Amino acid sequence: METLTQGNLSLLAALTALLPLITFLGITLIPGKQGRGAYFSIFNISVSLLLSAFLFFKIWNRNIVHEQLSWFTIGGTEFTAGILLNNLSVLMLVLVSLISLLVHIYSTMYMLGDPYLHRYWAYLGLFCFAMLGLVIIDNLLIVYMFWELVGFSSYLLIGFWFTKEAATQASKKAFIVNRLGDLGFLTGIMIVFSTFRTLDINLLFGEEGLVAQTVGSGIAPGAWLTIAGLAFFLAATAKSAQFPLHTWLPDAMEGPTSVSSLIHAATMVAAGVFLLARIYPIFDPTVLVVIASIGAFTAFMAATIALTQNDIKRILAFSTISQLGFMMIAMGVGAYGAGIFHLVTHAFFKCLLFLAAGAVIHEMAHFRAKTEADFDHQDIRNMGGLRKAMPLTFITMILASLALSGIPFTSGFLSKDAILIQSFEWADSQGGWVKLIPYSALLTSLLTAFYIFRLIFKTFFGEFRLKGQFSDKVIIHEAPAAMKYVMVVLAVFCLFLGFSFHPLSYEGSWILQGLPQQAIKHASVFDYHTFIPVIVNVLAILMIALAYKWYVKSKQAPDLSSNPVFLFLNRQWFFDDIYQRLFVNGTTKLASRAFLFDKKVVDGLVNLIANIGIVLSKISDWLDRYVVDGLIHAVASMAKTIGNFARNFQTGRLQHYLLTMVLVVLCFFIIKLFFPAI
Amino acid sequence: MSLLSLLIFLPLAAGLLILVLPYAWQQRYKYVALAAVGIQVIMSAFIYLNFDGNAFSGIDAKSKYQLVEQVSWINLQLGRLGSLQIDYFLGIDGLSMPFLVLSSVVMFIAVLSSWEIKTNLKGYFALLMLLNTAIMGVFCALDFFLFYIFYELMLLPLYFLIGMWGGARREYAAIKFFLYTLFGSVFMLLVIIGLYFSVQDPITGNHTFNMLHMMNPDNYIPGSIFSALAEQQIFGIPARLLGFIVLFIAFAIKVPIVPLHTWLPDAHVEAPTPVSIILAGILLKIGGYGILRICMSIFPDAAIDSAWWLGLIGVVSIIYGALNALAQNDLKRMIAYSSVSHMGFVLLGIASITAEGISGAMLQMISHGFLSTMLFFLVGVIYNRVHSRYIHDFRGLALIMPKYTTFIMIAFFASLGLPGFSAFIAEAFSLIGAFTSESVNGLLPRWMAICGSIGILLSAAYLLWTLQRMFFGKTRLMGGEDWKSKLTDVNGREIFVLTSLTVFALLLGILPSLAFDKMNASVLELIRLVNLK
Repeated sequence: METLTQGNLSLLAALTALLPLITFLGITLIPGKQGRGAYFSIFNISVSLLLSAFLFFKIWNRNIVHEQLSWFTIGGTEFTAGILLNNLSVLMLVLVSLISLLVHIYSTMYMLGDPYLHRYWAYLGLFCFAMLGLVIIDNLLIVYMFWELVGFSSYLLIGFWFTKEAATQASKKAFIVNRLGDLGFLTGIMIVFSTFRTLDINLLFGEEGLVAQTVGSGIAPGAWLTIAGLAFFLAATAKSAQFPLHTWLPDAMEGPTSVSSLIHAATMVAAGVFLLARIYPIFDPTVLVVIASIGAFTAFMAATIALTQNDIKRILAFSTISQLGFMMIAMGVGAYGAGIFHLVTHAFFKCLLFLAAGAVIHEMAHFRAKTEADFDHQDIRNMGGLRKAMPLTFITMILASLALSGIPFTSGFLSKDAILIQSFEWADSQGGWVKLIPYSALLTSLLTAFYIFRLIFKTFFGEFRLKGQFSDKVIIHEAPAAMKYVMVVLAVFCLFLGFSFHPLSYEGSWILQGLPQQAIKHASVFDYHTFIPVIVNVLAILMIALAYKWYVKSKQAPDLSSNPVFLFLNRQWFFDDIYQRLFVNGTTKLASRAFLFDKKVVDGLVNLIANIGIVLSKISDWLDRYVVDGLIHAVASMAKTIGNFARNFQTGRLQHYLLTMVLVVLCFFIIKLFFPAI
Repeated sequence: MSLLSLLIFLPLAAGLLILVLPYAWQQRYKYVALAAVGIQVIMSAFIYLNFDGNAFSGIDAKSKYQLVEQVSWINLQLGRLGSLQIDYFLGIDGLSMPFLVLSSVVMFIAVLSSWEIKTNLKGYFALLMLLNTAIMGVFCALDFFLFYIFYELMLLPLYFLIGMWGGARREYAAIKFFLYTLFGSVFMLLVIIGLYFSVQDPITGNHTFNMLHMMNPDNYIPGSIFSALAEQQIFGIPARLLGFIVLFIAFAIKVPIVPLHTWLPDAHVEAPTPVSIILAGILLKIGGYGILRICMSIFPDAAIDSAWWLGLIGVVSIIYGALNALAQNDLKRMIAYSSVSHMGFVLLGIASITAEGISGAMLQMISHGFLSTMLFFLVGVIYNRVHSRYIHDFRGLALIMPKYTTFIMIAFFASLGLPGFSAFIAEAFSLIGAFTSESVNGLLPRWMAICGSIGILLSAAYLLWTLQRMFFGKTRLMGGEDWKSKLTDVNGREIFVLTSLTVFALLLGILPSLAFDKMNASVLELIRLVNLK
């Protein structure tokens, strides 16, 4: 085994990331028939998965692999590009490539028949490349590059159906909101670079890294480092759809469901959390409190919105935002490992929820096409009773929902408990208003149980609601094999066994043991480890029962649609409207003002100067013509007049000349007489 | 005759050849021009490959320039005033060499896009070749007088190229462009004369136009107007500061900076596609190059004093240009304003006087050279087919022109700074330089870099908005079916041009060392010179 040096391992890691890029390049550069590339891309991502698994077993809980090459030099600073593999990055490698492979397989059936299918495979390849690159690279600037590339491939995939107006709007919105976050990233990079003159993650954030030394020594340029932390967090809020930059994610549901599942649920949105983990030492306590509070607020807000939505994908989108909020709480309270743990479990169950929803949507769309009816095939109010037609989808989705609600024996139970318990312990050590954070997280997890089971009950229970209209043509059945088995695989990962042998205690989980732990030594009077799981589960089961009562038993949930609170939640706390008015309209208005200013004032001034020049030249022309030239003309005509006058004397007659002579002589004498002085 | 002279005068020869060729061959003029610029591309590639960035750091030492040619050109004995000494003095260093490559490539593409020109081909190609000569001359000249001659020589062909082959308001645009630029350069001439009388050749003792001598404070005659020690004043302003400002304004008009930018949208919009390409791809860079080569190097003390203002102008240009671009309905005008915004990064980077900032600014100029060329070429493609450039006239072009849409997306995303393309590295380092300036030399406050980064956000806004409006959705065209049949996808020649530009942008984005390695020593040398005061 000694043949595998560090260099070889990092080459393998690079290959893992590059294979999907080869997919992208191969499909876009080599022409061929439309819809090509499925096997090519599945093959490449499978190899990526195998390599990631291999790397995982070589590196997990062993040495860190760090290899770098010189990239370029500016001034005296050499910028390097390299690969940094630690527990976090190999875990992410496996997660991303596994879920990508599953979604690839699922897509073969889900996207079947799309005229631009080859583009779809290419874009997926680009995304996987960006995401895999993001988790292994060691230089902040290149992380930023992959970070944007991830956003770009997400842009391409959200707007995949580019003739759909809503889809293109959504893709634009997603990119611009993410760009706003990127400014934070860039600001962070600028601060880090100007402070430490390097962007090497290992040098900066390693155990004995520059940041750790600076923070420890207390001579830190404190304020700027705090700002850097906040700036990086801003980047994470955009990518991980946290308040106030969360509004793009629900709209991103305009993309294909398989994409929503891979990118907007399992992997890309988790990149924000990953980033926080990668550069964790930079966050000082102030920033951590901000992270925790934003996370808690976002989790709560998104959960309340999810209660009132009817589009199956939008409910799941808000659920994603809410769960990402949980991960942020974990990061904020120092439960780094728990945050990543939840990232992993969430990736599986949320991916499954989306894929199962995709199966439902797929069937509903077929149904709509067959009946040629006009209804929204994503609206859960049009569904119902699907458990009979799609039993497997139903069972897998139930499993995923249990995991999302954090019911025992699921993976979600372990990771959510880890977050809740550690946040309570953290709050105890902090005191003050931050004590609200764990309680709000608790409340949110109850809302979670309610909204997801509302979705389940409305979709799968009762009777099919459109049956009355098309009673003869109801032909909804299970999804095709490729989609079905992917869902089964994911469902297995929703159980506790993949993560821990003990179903009720998160502490035995291998993921947590491989990652840094919360530093707080709890000396609490409560034993949160017993209390929290019990309380959460009892209440969650009550919530599920309530949902069952409302949506299955009584068939008629209380009508709240006129309630202002309902309206407030249904309109997503009006964030979209406010942003539209304030920022979008504000910017366009500012832009048109700027253009008006440019045209009227700046260019107006130029034209004014030009016109003044013209007027001046007209005046000088006039002067030239009538005054200067006039004078010359006057002189000339005077000479002419005198000449004419003198010409009169030149008559040619001798007597006239004689007379003139006499007159001149006479004049002479007269003058001489009167002015003798001359 | 050395390589640089050949590079400069080859197009002139081609232009003369075109002039004497009979009219019957006018369809072949373009091939003559293409051959000339093709050879130029090969020569500049050769120069690039043989350029040793570390050895030839240039700036103020003649020995550190590559391919130096110095011949006495005009040498007049003026009696008591001494002798007038003007040299034919060429040479390249890390600041000028990249622009030779850029110019030859952009020129090559401009000739390729001249296929659309249909009238008066003899005049057109002859003027284009004259312009080419002037541009190459500007980047090679090291004698200020020679520089000025080439600099002014650019105006003449451009005036006619815009005024005769342009769009509807071509005459207005041409004269505006001409007067605007002339306004700057006339005052520049005064400063050149002032410098001439202030500087003497250390060996012969004559006054000299040699730029390298002007960069050395020891060569200034004590008590002369621009001598740093004399601290002369003109109108109550220190003479050296005034000289710097005058030169800066002359070059800033070319860059252009807000508020001296209004010639640009008009000239770009009215000019025919190839001329727009040259304007955006090369002409604007002469402004930036001039600031580095002349303003900063000859008046380093004034440059440091004015750095704050330069940075401010840069930030204002970035944001103001982007906002204006957002408000445009004409695609070409939008791209013109986006140039203002992107060139703002150049100024911001230069003002920081840090290695990161100046390298970023240099790369931004090169990157913008390729990308704006690509953008104007793309606009030309669509304008050529249906004679409209209004964003509202098009919708859903992706369905009927898929390849074109791919290239437009590449160009748009590259210019909004997508990583992997050159503009990303360039803008990132311009901003990083501006940000680190406070801790390195204290010239620029940090908020400037942060405000400048807003330009990156706005550029995403206007480009993506345009993309969504023009290319996505269901196809709907102003001209209906007629347009639909005319809007054919890009042909082989166009694909060749667009692909090669994409490759350049990608190469520089992924391997910025291709540019940085060649210029790094010169940038450091420049910073050393400036900090020397």
